[in-house]
Amino acid sequence: MSLEVLAAGVVLIGLIAYAMFAGADFGGGVWTALAWGPRARVQREAIFRAMGPVWETNHVWLILIVVTLFTAFPRAFGDLFTALFIPLSIALIGIVFRGAAFAFRHYGSEGGARLPATGIVFSAASILTPLTMGMALGAIAGGQITIRGGQVATELYEPWLRPFSIVCGLIGVAMCGFLTASYMTTRTGGALREDFRNRALAASLVLGGLTTAAIPVAYADARPFFDRLGSPAPIAVMSAAVAMGVASLVVLWRRWYALAPPVAAGTVALVIAAWGAVQYPYFILPDERIDSVAAGHATLVAFLVSLPIGALILIPSLVLLYYTFSERTDRPAPEGPPS
Amino acid sequence: MFDTVTSARALMGMSLAFHISFTAVGIGLPLMLFLAEGIALRTGNPMYREMAKRWTRVAAVLFAVGAVSGTILSFEFGLLWPTFMDFSGAIIGFPFALEGFAFFTEAIFLGIYIYGWDRLSPRAHWLCTVPMMVSAAASALFVISANAWMNQPAGFEVVNGKAVNVDPIAAMFNRAMPYEVTHGTLAAYVTTGFAVAGVYAVAMLRGHRSEYNKRALVLALAVAAVFTPLQIVSGDLSARFLAHRQPEKFAAMEGQFRTERGAPLRIGGFPDPGARETKYAIEIPRLTSILAFENADATVRGLDSFPQDAIPDVRLVHYPFQVMVASGSFMLFVVTWFFGIAWWRKRIDPGRWLLRALVAAAPLGFVAIEAGWFVTEFGRQPWIIWHLMRTDQAATPREGVAFLLLVFFLVYVALTIGLGLLLLRPSGSAARPPQEAPDVA
Repeated sequence: MSLEVLAAGVVLIGLIAYAMFAGADFGGGVWTALAWGPRARVQREAIFRAMGPVWETNHVWLILIVVTLFTAFPRAFGDLFTALFIPLSIALIGIVFRGAAFAFRHYGSEGGARLPATGIVFSAASILTPLTMGMALGAIAGGQITIRGGQVATELYEPWLRPFSIVCGLIGVAMCGFLTASYMTTRTGGALREDFRNRALAASLVLGGLTTAAIPVAYADARPFFDRLGSPAPIAVMSAAVAMGVASLVVLWRRWYALAPPVAAGTVALVIAAWGAVQYPYFILPDERIDSVAAGHATLVAFLVSLPIGALILIPSLVLLYYTFSERTDRPAPEGPPS
Repeated sequence: MFDTVTSARALMGMSLAFHISFTAVGIGLPLMLFLAEGIALRTGNPMYREMAKRWTRVAAVLFAVGAVSGTILSFEFGLLWPTFMDFSGAIIGFPFALEGFAFFTEAIFLGIYIYGWDRLSPRAHWLCTVPMMVSAAASALFVISANAWMNQPAGFEVVNGKAVNVDPIAAMFNRAMPYEVTHGTLAAYVTTGFAVAGVYAVAMLRGHRSEYNKRALVLALAVAAVFTPLQIVSGDLSARFLAHRQPEKFAAMEGQFRTERGAPLRIGGFPDPGARETKYAIEIPRLTSILAFENADATVRGLDSFPQDAIPDVRLVHYPFQVMVASGSFMLFVVTWFFGIAWWRKRIDPGRWLLRALVAAAPLGFVAIEAGWFVTEFGRQPWIIWHLMRTDQAATPREGVAFLLLVFFLVYVALTIGLGLLLLRPSGSAARPPQEAPDVA
């Protein structure tokens, strides 16, 4: 496998990890907005407590993606941000407000200083970000960004404000909601757990519906994407995604909760991997191939060598983090963080 | 309204100005936590544990805002400067990748540290500050090395407008890197020391002269006392480096219009680009020549000796430079006063004027960081990559950057108000005013 493809694989893995971990935090905002019923407040609080220690770490996957893009694919980085100027700006504003609202609310409430409107800002931003990011990915995969003579040739709204991209944006939001609800089933108990189970079931059906709907929409609106669906690799990965999605329905239906988080994460990972399989070997369909936008040899070597070295430090640290904070969050910790 | 390049510069500048303040604390506070909790472990004095606990909450909020504002910057590279990144991403992306790892590590251990007070053994908990300290300083090193590269580009050749034969390691270890990295990182410790000291100086001025406040003040100023003199030495080395390697920036800092043998050091003054002279400065004869070249007769190049379309705006460089040097000098003076008088009287009992001076010095670290960063950035203009790519060639072709500037201005206003509300409320501040002895279980 060439260095360019390896580096593109890092982008894909980064996206999958960002979706699996940070996606669940965005989903936290979705369910904060949609919390209803007698346990609405408890639902919100359980989500908040689960997110507290890990959301900043989860967020760093995005930094990894951005850094990999501009180090290993500087041309594509410039082109993507030029073509997707608006959705990426909106996603960024969403990320900023979500992070700030969560931090302010979280640390504020510990000190008894709850700031106004942070809950609403948190929810709105949590929905906006996966929506616009999904739209951006939809524009890339849908072949909507054209590059002529090294310059982005599409207008400001043209590549992303269209049916296929919008469906991809909605898939993004559904994924996040599905992940959070599935993860929360192992972090709660009793009636609260039932709430999250029902939400996870509903979200998985919505996700299944949207991904199915994306195929006819692609036929009408994103032919470069649709035309590539029939190749062996996309078919294999998509079949695996469907199987995993069905498995997650079964797991939730039978209340095999220990299996719910890995199966949900696997479903999301496979859906994103399917997107990668359709794109390959293009970085931006249909004009930029992975090998034509990659950085030079020395840069790719330095970057790829740094990854395992970094991982040697990071993976044990991450394990320690998630291990330290893996228990149930539907009741307060014996002693909370410092007040 | 503003054109694209002006808007992009204003937005990038605003974002960095905001981000830099938080990173300074993000680098400095882990060291303070390491010291406070370490002393608590060593002596068993619960006051230091309480100190660390209260600082932790401040660290958590500031780190979160720093992470968020850092994300803004990483996006702005693409949103505002796609041409610059297309050229240099392959060259300076590598240190950013390493920074990503360092930042990741800091986020993980900060998470464990904040939420792990009662889940880890005291010793293990204290040890979490070590990876935090190391990775925070490493982050500074990596990011500043990229800025140093913009000032002293290295590690590539240009063929047909493209960078070829890229050597990311050589790019990272460019000539300016040791100077900028040292100066930029030490600044964080100085700033944090004075900022934390200021909180307790305020509390003591209000009459809360508790043992706790006194000890916290001494600890913060001890950090400041170690790093302030080092920072002044590193500043001197940086200026000398610039005199040799980036003489137009040095000339702008010193307000030196004409090439001169035995150039004086100008303190203050108003550079007048029309009259080609710096008016009303206090001039110390020959001192610039001595400081920069260790020779009273050395020739210092003036701005007039450079192509006039390739020099910085002297006013944007000279004034911030004066502000930075003045801030640094005042901080050195105050910390010397504090420990001098304590040593003389053999006890820690700062008087009202000393406390007031400490309060005045509290924001000066931030002021000096911002000013110093103005010096390095405005001093590099009109280049985004020194002597290679002009800033106005590097911006995005997209319209609408002015609108983005407005949006992010409002974002920063909202963040600042939120932070202010959170940290300045009594329960949020590190020194709760009504306290005699801290209530430690």
